[in-house]
Amino acid sequence: MSEQQNYEPKIVAFLCKWCSSAGSDLAGVSRIQYPANATPIQVPCSGSVSPMYILSALKKGADGVLVSGCHIGDCHYIEGNFLARRKLHLVKEMLRFVGIEENRFRMSWVSAAEGAKFAEVVKEFVEDLRPLGPQEQLKAKRA
Amino acid sequence: MINVQDIRDTARDLLAKGEVRAVIGWRAGTRGAAAEPCVIHAPEEAASLVWDPTCVHNLALYLVNDRKELVHAKKTADKPIAIVAKGCDARAIVVLLQEHYFKREDVHIIGVSCENSGVIDTRKAAPLLKGFAPTAIAFDGDDFAVTTAKGQQTLASREVMADRCLECRTPFPKESNSVLGEDKSGRDFAPQFAALQRFEEQDEAARWEFWQRQFDRCIRCFACRSVCPMCFCDECVVDSIEMKIAPETTAEEKANRIRWIERSAVRSENATYHMTRALHLAGRCVDCGECERVCPVNIPLRLLNTKMEREARETFGFEPGASIGGPSLVASFRDDDPGEFIR
Repeated sequence: MSEQQNYEPKIVAFLCKWCSSAGSDLAGVSRIQYPANATPIQVPCSGSVSPMYILSALKKGADGVLVSGCHIGDCHYIEGNFLARRKLHLVKEMLRFVGIEENRFRMSWVSAAEGAKFAEVVKEFVEDLRPLGPQEQLKAKRA
Repeated sequence: MINVQDIRDTARDLLAKGEVRAVIGWRAGTRGAAAEPCVIHAPEEAASLVWDPTCVHNLALYLVNDRKELVHAKKTADKPIAIVAKGCDARAIVVLLQEHYFKREDVHIIGVSCENSGVIDTRKAAPLLKGFAPTAIAFDGDDFAVTTAKGQQTLASREVMADRCLECRTPFPKESNSVLGEDKSGRDFAPQFAALQRFEEQDEAARWEFWQRQFDRCIRCFACRSVCPMCFCDECVVDSIEMKIAPETTAEEKANRIRWIERSAVRSENATYHMTRALHLAGRCVDCGECERVCPVNIPLRLLNTKMEREARETFGFEPGASIGGPSLVASFRDDDPGEFIR
């Protein structure tokens, strides 16, 4: 039980460098308090996130994976987030299909001006992950 | 029903006239009744081609191999290569053409229609043959005439056909230079995605329970990858083999090389490998069912692939292998793609 209480979900967050990454910076400089569970990884675009990044993160011991990009229509590369939306829908469906808890994977649109939203997204994600406990399904034995 | 002589004549004429440099087809195998893929170069070899219910292989794979050989030898072919293609093989070729793997004029497709039949699943046929090994299997109308040491018997094709053939709606090669047999597209022997439907009715825990057993069993022989005409990368992302190691490469550099997925056959690696492969095949897999057929430990790989196929069709209105000029699934989008799952 004590282990359950001490459990802090590890989140790997793939953040688009043009928006969500700046959004997370804004949350920081605005001194917004939010859980420190997310490890940010800056990517050039949410469209550049390969399904394998997500699976590999889960395999290496992440309890949840967040992908965050620009709002539809705001992509720096015009259509990257449209492609991400389609690709990651398939990832979400695949994870659901093999029986991985749906709340382990999350996607959000956070602009560079939405520091508060970023904090909210991470907070919600951590709250949703906490009851699930550590992710053991895809985790490598050695990770 | 197709007369095998027509296939032989077509192949011989193409080779004799010098229109193609080789023909990829099936010939009688050396073990039991099973046909095997072959590449013939001389007109007189055309007589060895066969067409029977054991022509299970997706020959598009050998088109890929031929292209690789040319590229690696830095050669260009002066003539196209011909291929005997079933409906599913032709769909695979269309996807390869769509991805510009080779040009349309580089390949001469001799289409063969499965009509109201398909290929045999020997695992289904074995109990009906009461332990006798088939020495020859031929088409008998839409059914299969199977010869064993005990004599000849006719098996109803609906009972022993491969699952993918029962679910197949387009047993006719849509893209071809010449075609044999009639177009029976739209036939409906068994509901599509029925196995998928049944599987998805289970809850999350039961689904994981099932897949975990499957993934535990995988021995990572990579037969599914090797047999797949869509898995054409020289270096697969799941097992990087081409890291350049020079004398000055440090141990640290070797150790820190990114390994997205390891090669060891353990559950976590197997699960991520199979899921990654299914995602890489989304919108490309034409459901030829070869991965599942060659799996030595019977992992139901078609379930993963048809899941993606159904998702592509129902959510994005996408049909793999439908047209050469069309966009690919993950390199295109529509404004109204679902996005409700995004916060």
